[in-house]
Amino acid sequence: MSYLIQREFVRYECTCGSLKPISVLHFCRHCLKLRCGYCVCHEVDSHYCSNCMEHLPSAEAKIKKNRCGSCFDCPNCFHTLSVRATTRSVEDGSKTPSKHYYLACFFCRWTTRDVGIPDQTTATGSWPNKENPYAETLISLLEHYKVIAMRERSQKDKKTYSTPRRGYSSFTEKFGLSSMIARKRAGLPSLPLGGKEVNLSNLPPITPSVAEEEVEPLPESYFAEEPDLTKITSLVQRHANPALQATTINTLHPQHRHFYIKRSLRCRQCEHNVSKPEYNPGSIKFKIQLAAYYHMPEVRIMTFEPLQAGKPSDIILKLINPTQHLTSVQFTQLPTTEEIEVAEEREKNMKESLDRDLISIPIPPRCVVITGKADLPSSAVVLPPRDDAAEYDDTVDTHSFQDDPNVVVWRKGNKAAVKFSITPFSDIKPGTEVLFGFCLDYGYVNTMPILEPRQPQRTEMQVKVYLSPGKTCGIDPK
Amino acid sequence: MSIYEGLSADKLAVVLDLGARYTKFGFIGEFAPRCIIPSEIKCPSSGKIRYIYSYTDENDLYSLLVEFVHMLFFKHVLVTPKDRHVVIVESLLCPTLFRDTLAKVLYRHFEVASILFVPSHLVALCTLGVKTALVIDVGYEEVQIIPVYEGVPILKAWQAQPLAAKAIEARLRNNFINAYNNMKNAAGDCGDTDTFAEDVSELPDSVIEDIKVRGCFVTTMERSEMISKSEPVKEPPPLKYRIKGDKLILIPGICRETAFEVLFERDNDTNSIQDLVLKSILECGIDTRKQLAENLFLVGGTVMAPGFKSRFMREVKALLHSPEYCDRLPLNTVKLHNPPAKDNYTCWLGGAIFGATDMLQMRSLSREKYLSLNTVPDWSNLAHNELVISKLPT
Ligand SMILES: Nc1ncnc2c1ncn2[C@@H]1O[C@H](COP(=O)(O)OP(=O)(O)OP(=O)(O)O)[C@@H](O)[C@H]1O
Ligand SMILES: [Mg+2]
Ligand SMILES: [Zn+2]
Ligand SMILES: [Zn+2]
Ligand SMILES: [Zn+2]
Ligand SMILES: [Zn+2]
Ligand SMILES: [Zn+2]
Repeated sequence: MSYLIQREFVRYECTCGSLKPISVLHFCRHCLKLRCGYCVCHEVDSHYCSNCMEHLPSAEAKIKKNRCGSCFDCPNCFHTLSVRATTRSVEDGSKTPSKHYYLACFFCRWTTRDVGIPDQTTATGSWPNKENPYAETLISLLEHYKVIAMRERSQKDKKTYSTPRRGYSSFTEKFGLSSMIARKRAGLPSLPLGGKEVNLSNLPPITPSVAEEEVEPLPESYFAEEPDLTKITSLVQRHANPALQATTINTLHPQHRHFYIKRSLRCRQCEHNVSKPEYNPGSIKFKIQLAAYYHMPEVRIMTFEPLQAGKPSDIILKLINPTQHLTSVQFTQLPTTEEIEVAEEREKNMKESLDRDLISIPIPPRCVVITGKADLPSSAVVLPPRDDAAEYDDTVDTHSFQDDPNVVVWRKGNKAAVKFSITPFSDIKPGTEVLFGFCLDYGYVNTMPILEPRQPQRTEMQVKVYLSPGKTCGIDPK
Repeated sequence: MSIYEGLSADKLAVVLDLGARYTKFGFIGEFAPRCIIPSEIKCPSSGKIRYIYSYTDENDLYSLLVEFVHMLFFKHVLVTPKDRHVVIVESLLCPTLFRDTLAKVLYRHFEVASILFVPSHLVALCTLGVKTALVIDVGYEEVQIIPVYEGVPILKAWQAQPLAAKAIEARLRNNFINAYNNMKNAAGDCGDTDTFAEDVSELPDSVIEDIKVRGCFVTTMERSEMISKSEPVKEPPPLKYRIKGDKLILIPGICRETAFEVLFERDNDTNSIQDLVLKSILECGIDTRKQLAENLFLVGGTVMAPGFKSRFMREVKALLHSPEYCDRLPLNTVKLHNPPAKDNYTCWLGGAIFGATDMLQMRSLSREKYLSLNTVPDWSNLAHNELVISKLPT
C-alpha cells in the first residue's frame, strides 16, 4: 500500500513526464491520458472559513477580501480568537448588569483588552477596523494617474491613425551603440509623469509629496535600555498585516480570519474536470474525481529477495484490476534512450502540424537513474473484473486461466501475483537504491455514456511503471 | 470610455513584487499587498526550505517558481491565475534569466492573460505624486540607486552594491560569533562555561534576522565615529535572547549597535551608501542635481530599521560638505520623501497604482503575443545588458 505509508515504491509516469504514485494521479476519460497535479490546470472552486465552516461564492469572497465576517485571528500567534463574555458588576445603581464581550486567544492568552480595544456589547461585536491612514492621499493619486493614463491612451489612439509609428530599429540606426538606452526608453512603460499636454482642468488634483530636510532622530532610549523582546513584534507578526506592520505588541490589531479554498482540477487538453469537490466545506466528497486508481491496473510490490549488484533476485508483484471489465496486462521493456528520442521527434513534428499550443506547459527535465533491469515475463496476464461480492467469498478459488505457474504464483478475484527476476546493475555500490521500470500494456474499456457509439469501447493503453523496492545489500559473504 | 474598459471586473489583475527575501503580492488598485511572505518554498521531495533566488540554473528556477507562484495564488490571494492580468514590479537591474523564467512560468504554466513589467524605481514615484526623485532601494541583496528625472529613469547614473540586509546580517553574525567566543574564553578562565555552552556558529538565518529586526538599531554618526576611533562610549546594554526555547544567549550591546555600520563605512573604498548616492547624482546632468538631492526617496525593508533614515541623511549631508564632494557637488540641502505606505512595499504600491490605470491595457504583453514570439521581447529584456554597457568607460 504505497500510498498509505507514504513511501513511493511504485511510481507511474504521467503524460507530462513526472513520476508519481498512483494515488495522486488522475485519468482523463476524455483524452484517455494520465494527468497529475503538475500538468492539470488548478482553479479556485469555493472559499470557506476553516473555523466556522462558512462558505461563500467567489464573487462574495472577493468583496470580503477573502476574510470571514465573523472569525478573527490572533495577531500574536495566528490562532483563532474566541469571544469571551463578562458581566460587569453594576456600581452606579442601574438594575441589570450588562454583558460585555472581548476577544481572547486560548493559545497565547492575547486579548483585545491588551491593546485597548474597547469591549463590545454584542457578541458578534462591531470590532473596530484599522483603516489605512493614507487612504485619502492614495485615492487621489489613483484617480489622478487614471486620468493621465486615459489621456495618453486616447492620444496614442489618435496618433496611430495619423502617423506611422517608428519601429525601434530606426533608433538603433541613428544612435549606434548608445541607442540601446534609447530603445530601452522607448520601450519602457515610461510613466505619463511628464504630463505637459494634459488639460489640467479635468485632472483630479493631488498634493504631491514634499520632501523634508528634518528626519526624526533615533530616540535616546536605544542607547540606555535593553529592548524588551516581549514587547517588540517579530517580522512574521508585522508582515501578517502589511498596511499596519505594528512594531510593538501593544499596537497589534486582530484581523478577520483568512479563507481557505477548495480547488478543482481541469485537464488542459480537453478542459474537462478531472476533479471537482463538493461545494459544502464540511464534505470531503467529490462531484468528479477521475482518480487513476479507478481506471488502471495497480502494481504493488509483495516481496522480493535481497538485492545484490549483478545478481538476479526474484520479485513478486501484485496486480489489481479496479475496473468492471476484464483486462489483460503485458510487460515490455522500457524504450531505450534512442527510441525515446525518435518518438519525441515524431511527436514534435506531429504537434507542430496539428495544433501548436494544445499543451504548452514545458516539461521539466527528469533525472531518473535506472540502476537495474528486469527479466520480464513474456506471457500476458489476464485480470478478471472487480467483483465486490467475491472479495468476501473464500470458497471460490477455481479459475479457468491458463497461467504459466512460473509467472502467476497466486490469484484471487481481480488480483494476481506475478513473479519475475530483477538484476541490479553490476557496477553499483552496495546501499544504492535500486530503480527499474517496465511498460505495462493493458486494455481499457471506456464506458463513458456520452461517447458515440454507445457501446463501451476497448482501447489498448500503455503506462510506464518505475519501481524502487529498496537498496542493494553488502557484498556477498561467499 | 470607461476606466475599466477592456478588463472584466471579476478578473482583477494581481501585482507581484518578488524580492530576494520577501515577496509582496496583491491586487491592483489596493493600497497594501495582501501578503508579504518570504520568497522561499519547502522543497516537496526533500522537505528543505529553499530561497527562490538560490536557483542553480534555469530549470531549477523554473520549478521553484512553479511551486512558489502556485502557493501565492492558491494560499494567499485565492484566485485562479488562468486568464488573469499580472503586473510585475521588478528592478531594472533584474537578471534577464530571472525575468524570462518568471515570464515563462506565468505564461506557460499558469496561462495568465498578460504581463506588464514595471520598473520598481519608476513606479515607486506614483506613491508620491512627483516626477523627479533619486530612488534608493535598500532591500536584501543590494542597494540599488536609480535617479528618475521628469518621469524618465536616468539609467546611466545607476549605482548598486551588495550593501543591504544580507550584508548587515553577515556583519551581525560575525561580530556576534567573535564577541561570543571572546566572552566564552574569558569565562572559561574563571571556570564558568555553562552560560556559553551553546554553539552559536550555526544559528539559522531566521534567528540572525530576528535579532537584527528586534534587537539592533542604526546608531548616530557621532557615536559611530567614536566607536571606530576606539574612543570610549557607553555601550548599550546587552540583550538576552532565547534560542531553542530555553537557552539564553547574551548579545552584546556593541553588536546590536554596529551591525548596520557596514552600509556606511568608507575606510577601504568609497562604496558606502552615501557615496553611491552622491556618485549617482554626479552622473546626472548638472541642471538636475539640485532637484534630485532635494528629492531623495528611500524604499525597501532595510530602511525601516530604527534610526536608519536619520543616520542616512546625516551621512549624505556630511559627505556633501566633505572636501571630496563640496567642489564637485556644490549643493547645500538634501531632503527626504515620506511615502504614504510602509517602506518595504512602496514599490509594490507604485505597481498597484500604475497597474490600475489604462497603462495595463496599453503596455501589457499578452499571452498570445508571447507565445508567438516565444520570448519576452527585446525592449523589455535589454535592461540588464544595456545597463552594463552604459557603465563601460567611454
Ligand atoms: N517591517 C519591517 N521592519 C523591519 N525590518 C524589515 C521589515 N520588513 C522587512 N525588513 C527587513 O528588510 C530586509 C529587506 O526587505 P525587503 O522586503 O525590502 O527585501 P526584498 O525586496 O526581498 O529584497 P530585494 O529588494 O533586494 O530583492 C529584510 O531582510 C528584513 O529583515
Ligand atoms: Mg525589493
Ligand atoms: Zn482531457
Ligand atoms: Zn502530469
Ligand atoms: Zn469563520
Ligand atoms: Zn494567540
Ligand atoms: Zn474532452
